[in-house]
Amino acid sequence: MMLASAGSDSHNIIWIVLGALLVIRLAVGAGRRNRRQSASAPVPSSAPPAPATASVAAPASTDRATLLEVRQLTVAYGSKVAVDGVSFEIRRSEIFGLLGPNGAGKTTTLSAIEGLRRPRSGAVLLNGVDIVRQPAVAKAQMGVQLQSTGFQSELTVRQVARLYAGLYGVTMNDEDLDRALADVGLGRELDRTTKQISGGQQQRLSLFVAVIHDPTLLLLDEPTTGLDPQSRRQLWARIERVRANGGSILLTTHSMEEAQALCDRVAIIDHGRVLAIDTPRNLIDQHRDDPLVRASARGEVTLEDVFIGLTGSEIRD
Amino acid sequence: MLAALLRADLVVLTKNKMRLILSLLLPLIILSTTNSSKATRHFGGAEFILGLAITSGIAGTSIMGYAPMAARDRDNGVFQRLRVSPAPTWVVMASRLSVQMVSNFVIALVVLVLGDRIHHLSLSAETYVLVLLVSILGSAVFLAVAQALVGLVKSADTVQAFGRLLYIGLVMLGIFGASGELGGFWDTVSKWSPVGALMKVFAGVVGPGTFGSQDWLSLLACGGYVVVLAALGIYWFRFDAQ
Repeated sequence: MMLASAGSDSHNIIWIVLGALLVIRLAVGAGRRNRRQSASAPVPSSAPPAPATASVAAPASTDRATLLEVRQLTVAYGSKVAVDGVSFEIRRSEIFGLLGPNGAGKTTTLSAIEGLRRPRSGAVLLNGVDIVRQPAVAKAQMGVQLQSTGFQSELTVRQVARLYAGLYGVTMNDEDLDRALADVGLGRELDRTTKQISGGQQQRLSLFVAVIHDPTLLLLDEPTTGLDPQSRRQLWARIERVRANGGSILLTTHSMEEAQALCDRVAIIDHGRVLAIDTPRNLIDQHRDDPLVRASARGEVTLEDVFIGLTGSEIRD
Repeated sequence: MLAALLRADLVVLTKNKMRLILSLLLPLIILSTTNSSKATRHFGGAEFILGLAITSGIAGTSIMGYAPMAARDRDNGVFQRLRVSPAPTWVVMASRLSVQMVSNFVIALVVLVLGDRIHHLSLSAETYVLVLLVSILGSAVFLAVAQALVGLVKSADTVQAFGRLLYIGLVMLGIFGASGELGGFWDTVSKWSPVGALMKVFAGVVGPGTFGSQDWLSLLACGGYVVVLAALGIYWFRFDAQ
């Protein structure tokens, strides 16, 4: 009798243990399916091709008021100083490029301006507002496009736009929102989830939510990386449009062609320090006769030659 | 801001309904395999079985639902994208946790109704309210466990692997502890583990008689788990995967 009772009890426990294992097995299967879907090839873009209009940088003017002021910014990861006393200003309606090799401190500088990383010392002032002391006020004035698009894969394009409109306090009815998304070539993708759209479409959505509240400063971290020439030119045109509407843009890029075509001024940084700041034209003129620049030039000196002359030709990780 | 975040997080929750269904599977197995009076006695009574079923459901959705999803979103830069908006980080996290609490509450309610039917408990409306209130405490306990997990472990894959081990470990501790088969030291460990303590509180509000001193101590232990694990989870948690 005792044995029978013990046997029955053991059966109950075995059933529960098997049940727990089954739940875990099924949960793991569901997780794997989700990851496979995220990693699967994106759906080809159905947006109409953009006109391939080359963009020409506007001449830099020195009389525009300062919008962003970065003063002696120092950012460290533990004992490693990634940004070491960086200072620069961005004027209203200016496109400013931050150039540097891998690990130079571009993204860290941008992270401090975005409020993602607390500086060890120095200050970042946007329209006179300190990003450390009043982050919400400063963030409401800036639009940000990070290197990774960073949207929840379950949300549709429309839901993502609705979320960020809500976060920035932008009131738009469904029709206006759909029309605005159609204007950036996402009209056919409204009900697709962010994992179902192409990389170019994700970039467009990312830029759309970055400018949804008409920011005074737009921060773009390597915005054209991985884009085809058509998408890149389309993005340049959008950046120009933001500037035409009175916004200023701070972007990081590895493309000297992009910096030369788009930026009013650029800062070249390396090892966390600013090496030079000026217009691309002035930088070329100033460093034309530098022996290291001449050594890297193949024919006429370009911004890329100046960049290599200042930062060295060794490969960075 | 909070409304926009809550709406988005609810959409994500509804699109992951399979996780909710899976979280209900083990509680249903527990309730149905312990239906006989002998099995009920073996686990210390129907109230303990109901406590175990609700606890395993809440633990499942928190440890194998909330934690891996938070880790995945951290890996994909979702938190960083939200942090560059004017929304304070506490609002971002509060929205997620609130939605998870709702999901846990739904699980607790479904398991409670089914447990009441299967085990013929004929619970009063007052008991229903008390059990659902305790389920909020249970949610807090296991969300604190999940937060500590996602704070301590960085990669999403590792969080998922650890989560599985932790879930099976906690549930086994609860099952064997309730059956009294572990004996001595492990029975004590089981009794004061998050699962054991919560089961005791559930049993206290469902079972006949008053809420005794042991029940109050278990309630205190649950509160301790919430405070300590949530504090560690918040301290360890990084929004950036790198």
